[in-house]
Amino acid sequence: MKAPKYFIIAILFLIGTSTFAQQPMKQKIDMVLDKYGNADLKVSMTMNASMWQNWVQSFGNNPAALKREMQRAMPSYFLDDFNLDKNDMDRSWELTMKAYGVCKVDKRGNWYLETDEKDVDLTELTEHKYMYVASPLEFGGQIQQTTMIEFPEEAEGIKVDEDAYGKTVFEFDMKREKAGFNPMTGAGLLLLLIGLGWLVTNIVRKPKEA
Amino acid sequence: MKRFLLPSILIGLGAILTALSFLIGSGGGNGTVDIEIEKASFIMPAAHNVYSNSEALDGKYYLFKAKLTNPTKATLEDVTVSYRVPGFIEWTEIAVIGEMFEGQTASVVCYPKFKDDIVEKMTESMEKAEIEVTWDGADDDDIVEEDFAFKIVDRNLYMFTGIPGDEIAGWSDVYDNDALLACFVTPNDPIVKYYTQVVQEKVLKGDQASVSQNPQDAARFLMGIYEATRMSHMVYSGTKGIPQSLDDVSSFSQHNRLPREVITGNTGLCLELSLLYASMMSAAGLNPIIFLVPGHAYPGFEMKGTYYAIEATKIGGEGLGGIGSVQEALESGEKQLQEWFKMAQMGDPRYTMVNVHELNQQGVVPMALKDDEFMRQKVKEIGEKFEPTVSENAKAPKKNTPRNNNPRPRPDNASNDNTRVVDSNPNSRRTSGPLSFAIPASWTYSKYPFPEVPIATAAAMSPDMTANAIIYDIPASSIDEALAYLYETLYYMGSEVAYQRNGSSITGETYSAYGTFRWKGKAKRTGSGVRIVATGANDMTYGQHSGTINSIYKSIR
Repeated sequence: MKAPKYFIIAILFLIGTSTFAQQPMKQKIDMVLDKYGNADLKVSMTMNASMWQNWVQSFGNNPAALKREMQRAMPSYFLDDFNLDKNDMDRSWELTMKAYGVCKVDKRGNWYLETDEKDVDLTELTEHKYMYVASPLEFGGQIQQTTMIEFPEEAEGIKVDEDAYGKTVFEFDMKREKAGFNPMTGAGLLLLLIGLGWLVTNIVRKPKEA
Repeated sequence: MKRFLLPSILIGLGAILTALSFLIGSGGGNGTVDIEIEKASFIMPAAHNVYSNSEALDGKYYLFKAKLTNPTKATLEDVTVSYRVPGFIEWTEIAVIGEMFEGQTASVVCYPKFKDDIVEKMTESMEKAEIEVTWDGADDDDIVEEDFAFKIVDRNLYMFTGIPGDEIAGWSDVYDNDALLACFVTPNDPIVKYYTQVVQEKVLKGDQASVSQNPQDAARFLMGIYEATRMSHMVYSGTKGIPQSLDDVSSFSQHNRLPREVITGNTGLCLELSLLYASMMSAAGLNPIIFLVPGHAYPGFEMKGTYYAIEATKIGGEGLGGIGSVQEALESGEKQLQEWFKMAQMGDPRYTMVNVHELNQQGVVPMALKDDEFMRQKVKEIGEKFEPTVSENAKAPKKNTPRNNNPRPRPDNASNDNTRVVDSNPNSRRTSGPLSFAIPASWTYSKYPFPEVPIATAAAMSPDMTANAIIYDIPASSIDEALAYLYETLYYMGSEVAYQRNGSSITGETYSAYGTFRWKGKAKRTGSGVRIVATGANDMTYGQHSGTINSIYKSIR
């Protein structure tokens, strides 16, 4: 999940550096994972007047450019279902998209989610929901980013670990979906049992003499 | 026998139903996988180490990525994705997905591991990549096979961008591959190392510029390289971009002679000379920088947060305006560097730099080249012409320290440029004098926009900096003479102009290392010479600006 860092890079790509000298900006990222390891991503942000002006010129009026930046910034994933909502009155925007294949499954069937960050200070909100706050160095600590990660109900035994590069990763199991009752299988088995029963009965019971 | 018939029929029906339920339930057979491929249109051998590294430039360069989906109800185990490029890469496993449930999607990216000898590829070719997806229990009929064609260009070819033409939105898209220039900087090439040693020994009298980390010493090394190229009678040569059509990618490419080929061939373009300087500086332990500006490139280095540069093309050549001294080359570099910082601070996306060592750390590593006895002998012969010339008291260039630590400043709306002359009334913005034209509201206007081209007396520039309208005031007695003068001036700057004249109207194209610029304009004799007003745009963005360009053209009067 290299997403959060790249969101900032892409979204702030054309915003003037002078804006960073003001108060820290806040950005919220919600990542909701499904039982297939895909993610519904929602990035939202409220801006000051000058930032808003720059952002509208570069991306707000050209969502296709924003989509393209996202796709280039996250080459590992297939991104789809983009939607950008902006509120000119509040100077805020919300970008949603679907990212496929965000979680990986290793050879042993273990699922994992990479954060691409070292020493992430995680807060466990619930058994399936985690949060962390970061101020990426790329922007001199002027961006405060709150990321919420929500695992699906099927995820079990979620634990936080580090990969070979010392980056934080989530490891978990995903419950297999049990196949539901198949009427055709039931009918087949029933016929088999009846037939076998009937056959055995007929073998055991001797035919009446004529 | 009748008493066995009916039960047997029931047993048979039950068995068939049960078997069918499993077959239908699993989607038939042993499952399948849907695959969707996104592929690269070309591979540059020079950058093969970037393509192979998933961490390089955050994984931007790859051969293909595949979206795999399990459309069946069966859970597939150990789904394995392999690929090969016949003649280059044998079957290689790139991912094993432990399990794939019904409807699950996985994303797999292929970072191809070409062998090092791909850098010996001297011709381009179309190749085929084959992909195979298999899983536990898959029958031969179930295995998913895909293939696609792509181009492997020759080792010298540098493609400016890999972005499809219809997605190009501005200058930075047209030159999206700038970072890969660092692959052409080859400090570990045995020939470059040998040449560097020869220059250090014979021109610099054994100085080791890197040891002291003293800017004065480093500048002397830079001057030493210039003197070496001058003493070997190296010639600066021009070129033009070549349009390439690769699937949906329209790109410009440049045939870059490698630093070793510049040394032994004794000729180079501005970019090739910059690559040579960067290679030698890197080999000597300095931190090389290549500064990129519209239509030109020049080398320099960074030391302790301060940047230095030299105009490598001052070596010129007979017929190309003579040969400049090392001091002239330094002064020219200094002047251009000041201009670079001014424009970069203003957010002009055309003014960028290639910080070679910074890119090396991001995985953009140089190509590995083998030793070559013939080239070594050639270097030896060249070295025999050298004599010590760079004195210890040689004047080092002035410091050029950026105003902040951001090496590639981004656009800033705050206009602090004193040179811009913008009419206070946006509704009546128009240039003055003969052949005046209306300046589009969003365009910026400045006088003497290019100090190195003094005949360009004013220019209006589009916000994305890819379209402009330029006024040339040329000391000539006729329009033809003025056009010839313009041709020569731009040729000296590394550009080549092709034009057609119809009375006072002119249409043309300007080719340079940075692509083709399409333009049209008008010419008129004035009291002091000839004025030419030309307006146009980079070929990649011409379509977007054509309406504005036509309006400007029509407004010329």
